[in-house]
Formats: sequence, C-alpha cells, structure tokens
Amino acid sequence: MNKVGVAALLTSGRTLKQGRGMELGKMSKEYFDEVSVCEMDSTSLKVLGISEGDTVLVESKYGEVIVKSRLDKRAEPGIVFIPCGPYVNMVTGSDTEESGMPNFKNISVVIYSAKGEKVLTVEQLLKEAIGGT
Amino acid sequence: MTELKDVVCPFCGCLCDDLVISITANRITKNKNGCSISRTKFLNHLEDRIVHPTIGVDDSKVEATLDEAIQRAVTILANSKRLLVYGLSSTENDAHREAYKIAEITGGVVDNTSSVCHGTTILGSQESGEPHGSLAEVRHRSDLVIYWGANPQFAHPRHMSRYTRAAGEFVKDPKNERQIWVFDIRKSMTAQAANRFVRITPGSDLELLNAMRAILRGHKLDVESVGGLSLAEISDIVTSMKNAKYGAFFFGLGLSQSKGKHRNVDAAIRLIQDLNYYTRWNLMPMRGHFNVAGANKTSTWQTGYPFAVDYSRGYPRYQPGEYTAVDLLVREECDAFLNIAADPAAHFPRRALKHLAKIPIINLDPKNNMTSLIAEVNIPTALSGIECDGAAARMDGLPLYLKKVVEPPKGVLPDREVLRMIFDGLRRVCD
Repeated sequence: MNKVGVAALLTSGRTLKQGRGMELGKMSKEYFDEVSVCEMDSTSLKVLGISEGDTVLVESKYGEVIVKSRLDKRAEPGIVFIPCGPYVNMVTGSDTEESGMPNFKNISVVIYSAKGEKVLTVEQLLKEAIGGT
Repeated sequence: MTELKDVVCPFCGCLCDDLVISITANRITKNKNGCSISRTKFLNHLEDRIVHPTIGVDDSKVEATLDEAIQRAVTILANSKRLLVYGLSSTENDAHREAYKIAEITGGVVDNTSSVCHGTTILGSQESGEPHGSLAEVRHRSDLVIYWGANPQFAHPRHMSRYTRAAGEFVKDPKNERQIWVFDIRKSMTAQAANRFVRITPGSDLELLNAMRAILRGHKLDVESVGGLSLAEISDIVTSMKNAKYGAFFFGLGLSQSKGKHRNVDAAIRLIQDLNYYTRWNLMPMRGHFNVAGANKTSTWQTGYPFAVDYSRGYPRYQPGEYTAVDLLVREECDAFLNIAADPAAHFPRRALKHLAKIPIINLDPKNNMTSLIAEVNIPTALSGIECDGAAARMDGLPLYLKKVVEPPKGVLPDREVLRMIFDGLRRVCD
C-alpha cells in the first residue's frame, strides 16, 4: 500500500442516491454503492496516484475504512465527503461533548491509496465494527 | 385502478402533501409529484421487507409467531435494569405514545434520533428561543433565503421548488424578486443552483455568525477577515439581510453538527432575533426524517422534554449527554435496546456499536437493515404513511395527517399496535 497520504477534513451528509438506496433497502446494491465512496477533488486523486473508482483507505484517530474514490468536480483540496451511513461511521468519534451529538462533520483524516483492496460489504463491515478493536 | 390525491409523503421533513398515488390490486403503480426518493419509497415499499418475526435462539435467528416475538420482547424488557427506547422519527405520533409508556413502566430511557441530528438545535432554542414562521410564509413573502450548512437539493429535494423558488402571494416573480444564498464549506448541488455561494472555513460558523451580529449592531471588528470572508463581504451580507423585506434562514446539520454545535445554533438564533428589530426574519432547521419534529413534540407533550428522557426514578428527567443514545451506549450503561423505526447500527459511531451488539435488541422496522442483523427480536411493522395512517409534524411544526394508501403485508401491524401489545404484556408482568 502506498503510504503517501493526503490530509483532509472529512464531512458527511445525505445524497439523493443514498436516500434512494436507503428506501430500496440497506442491503441493496444501490445503498452499498452510494455509501461506500469518498468524494474528493482531482488534485487529491492525482497526489494519491489513483483514478476515480480506485479504493482508498480513510484513516482518522477513531478508526479506518476502505472505500472507493469518486471525483467531485466542484470540490477543492482539503475537504472530502462520504455520504452518511455505516462506512463514514467507522472513522467517526463517539465523544458528544455532553450534547448527545458525535462529531459527524469536519473529522481530520488522512487518505491513502488502497488500490486493489476490497471494500467490505455492509454485513462484513458490521461484523468488523462489533468484533474489531 | 384507484387514484388517491393529496397524499402526504413520509420521507423528509417537508412532508409534501400533494402526491397523487395510483393503486392497482393493492399495488402502488405510480407516484405523481413525488421527488425521486419519494417515488423510490412508494414504488419499492415491498422490497427487502422483514417477512416474519424472528427471535434469537443459540446465536441464530428462528422464525416465530407474533405472539412468541412479543413474549420474548416482554421478557427482555421486564428483566432489563436500564432499557433504552430509541428511534421514533420514521413512525407516526400514536406509536410514540406507546413507546413513552414502555419507557415509563420499565423505568428506562427514551431518546429519539434527533439526538444525532438536530438535538443541538433544540439545545440552542432552549437557550435563546425560536424565531419561527411557517413554510407558507416563506413561499408567499420571502425575498431573501439563506441555506446555511444545508443541501436541500439532496436531502429535501422539493424544498426549493415548493417553497423558495415557487411564486407566492407577494412574490409573483421569484426568479427576479427573491435571492437564494448558500453558506457552506463545500460547493454542493444547492450552492450550484443558488444566486450566491458563500464558502466558509470549516468550523468557523460560530465566529462568523457572531461577527455578523457585531457588524449588524454597528461594532468595529479589529480583524481583516472572519471564517474566510473579508469584513467588507460580511458587511455587504449583513446589509442585504437587514434590507430584506422578509428573510428566511434555513440551516442543516452543517451548522448543528459542526464544531460549536448548539452554540452555533444559539448564535444563528440571536442573529435572527437582532435582524427582527429592523425587518422580518424566520429561522428554521431542515428536519431530516419525516416525523423527527413530531418525535420532539410528542416527547415534550408526554414527558416534558424533547429527547434524552430518563424514567429511572419514576418521573421524567432530561439530560442530553447523559441520557442520549450514543452516550448511554459508549458508557455501556444500557442493558437492553428497543429500536423503533431507526437504524442505529448504520448511523452510530463504531464505538457505540460495540456495546449495542452485546445487549439484546428488540427491533421494530418494516425493512431489513443493519440493526435487524444483530437484533435478538425482529418484528416487522407497517410503513407509516403508506401502509398505516397517523399524524406527523412538518419541519415548521405543522401537523399533517398521513394516509394509509395500501394494506400492509398479511399479519403485519402498525408500530403502535405492536408497541401496545408489548406494553400490555409488560403491564401484566410489572404491575
């Protein structure tokens, strides 16, 4: 795995496809295809030496997850986006600062190329989350 | 073929009430007027369903009758010392009532999904008030609309077309008479469609809102820029806001979930209150699930508090950060979990999932989801607003009646019926 990383702030939220996928079913291909991606700008893809669709490892101090990269033409370097769902929650912290709300926005992450690595299915991801460290 | 008019959409907080649903032989064949998510929801309501109740036996799930599943649920809940009842935002108000009764009789905690979306908005409102208006007012009167940290083109697909781009009584030509501005850290689809996009530095919402307030009040700031904007730009924004005839400030999770959380919302409310000295402004959170606003309302009616309510002393107590779902799970405090129309396994941080997987979960949901994979008891329920009726609250607080448009699958009951059966079982055991 290439250890040249790109530091960024990760944010999450709803997308149209994520909403549709959710209504089709959490086990549907549409849902999996939409929530297991990380959207980023073209410079980040270039620095990582990957093409859109290659897998990346997203690492924060709370955990790591492998997802597919996706080009966001409107994005600027430094901010990446993963649609809300189980994949982004692998790198989300749980401290709510006495508010009840974890930090779902602006998570400091480093992104590495993980070309050739497989993205876990929703079931495999859940298994890893509850069984892993 | 039957055609049902004025059907309310049970997806997002817009609760669009103009759907026309075509039905042939108890099958939905067409959803006219709905957005693409609404169409997907109505036309695929039978996809990926939980087909029958299941209970856990020796690490596997076995098919059970509804009575057996209810009995197992009652046994788990009656034996729990610290039950967490959670969810509620994707079901109708009558189901909420039964959930509060279960929390009360078991001395448990009841929290709804707003604790991980606009719970901080409520904390901000409790601090500073609620300068609210209705969505109809926005449509008929507004000449300046701000979306702050919100992306309605994706999360509330008809919000703009129904309320902020539509012509109204006093805004006949919205294209020329109304401005739509987007404040965000990234150029979203909504920003693309807006008249003005203001890119702000991540995590600077609180600073920027307070700087806007200071400038509105005539203070001089001893800095060159705030939140990535020059003082000249901030002054220009504030002047336009002050000169608007009617302004609407919509905000999303980009404000309520970002650094500063309820303080961000507090600052936005104070800014809107200050603007109301000069003109009329209306502030509204973009509520996500169709009845999350209703969950806050029914919780307040029944318990006195909008979320994070603890009944362990026999009377309701409120403390976000203590009785909120993620905190209870991370502290490994709850020993049973009653999940109603939500999917915490998909939406909670991984650290919270570890404890969730260790305790018995009773899951009420129409569809398979990540929580159903680890639940000890799964009970399928009818989809509110499609397979059962009920009431829900729109993002501006307006209550709307959800219609039943088709019969649920055989043997599947609404959440309220299943919860009532669980409560009746508990009453026999606990009284």
